[in-house]
Amino acid sequence: MAKLILTPENQIQRLNTIFNSVEQLRDLPLVQLKKRFNPKTWSVLEVILHLNIAYGHYHTKFEEIIPNLSSIDVEQKKFKCRAWQKFVIEGQRPKNNVRKWKMKTLKRFEPIIDLEHVDDKKANEIIDSFFALYGHLKETIVTSRGKNVTKIKFASAIGPIVNFYLPESFEFLICHLERHTVQISEILKQVEK
Amino acid sequence: MRDEDFLLLKNLFFNLRISDKEEEHFKSLWCTKYFKQNDLKTEAGSIERNFYLVLEGVQAIYVLNEKGEKVVLGFSYTGSPSGVFDSFVSGEPSKIFLEALKPSRLLAISKSDSLDLFKNDPSFYQWGHHFFQEVLFGRLSREVELLTLTAEQRYISFMQRCPDELKVIPQKYLASYLNMKPETFSRLRASTVY
Repeated sequence: MAKLILTPENQIQRLNTIFNSVEQLRDLPLVQLKKRFNPKTWSVLEVILHLNIAYGHYHTKFEEIIPNLSSIDVEQKKFKCRAWQKFVIEGQRPKNNVRKWKMKTLKRFEPIIDLEHVDDKKANEIIDSFFALYGHLKETIVTSRGKNVTKIKFASAIGPIVNFYLPESFEFLICHLERHTVQISEILKQVEK
Repeated sequence: MRDEDFLLLKNLFFNLRISDKEEEHFKSLWCTKYFKQNDLKTEAGSIERNFYLVLEGVQAIYVLNEKGEKVVLGFSYTGSPSGVFDSFVSGEPSKIFLEALKPSRLLAISKSDSLDLFKNDPSFYQWGHHFFQEVLFGRLSREVELLTLTAEQRYISFMQRCPDELKVIPQKYLASYLNMKPETFSRLRASTVY
């Protein structure tokens, strides 16, 4: 199996690309952001809300871990992702703008929102939260460039069955974001029809 | 602004003819920014907001290849301009990183302030014409070197023209800039006189 080498610069670049595409959502009419293609699927705002919920666990973990990592003076060495973690990450990563495996979302990560009562202000709040949370992710990645990231592992949001070193968790979160960015494009295409 | 910093600025904008009052205004548009070693001044995917003049330190501009490796396009160093110029001009997200390889001190001017200068003073416009001409000639010359010279010739040509402060940055950046493996760079360093 080919190695998966993780670098903070690659992750920062992809995260910025995602930020640019989410920022563009602010220009869309509210009705497009709220519309579900069918009752069983999510609207764009529900996808963003799901992403916000999904970051909660990692926000707490990063706040705990970062102060405990030792600083390094030299540039961080390339980080090789472990096999099981790579498998989990690749399950999230979209290929050629297609989500490979569609999966059921765990109950605790489901977005619960009364779309009928969402106005422009509420929609902007959801998008603002997205930028605050994932801005924290970017800040954490930038900080990790000067830290030894090979010492502390932690359990992922789905439990100790998957544990991550920091670069693996960053990659997982970014692939998860990329997966849902593809989903947002799909929703918007359907809604525009 | 320190006198020696302003001298570097005047050296970069060599053709300016401005009154004392205009000079004060010109100075006031620049602010000093500090970066630690390995700080990212500009990230790929973000928009370059500033044009810089380097007061101290060395920086590299690079893109990432498919393997996530840094491919170095160029360096900036004391006295030279710095920034991701295509993104600065177009206002589009950059594909390029700009990283401080040494602790760096730079003067920065924002896009709106620089546009005002260009709009209001023809000597800035002339300077801009000269500057982008130099950038173009520099890129063409580098392309010719990369396509026509051997690794050893590229190494010699670079070492003869590069300032001393560039010679002490990590070798992998210099090797990447010269489109060779770090091992090749190391071997040439040990065996080649320039």
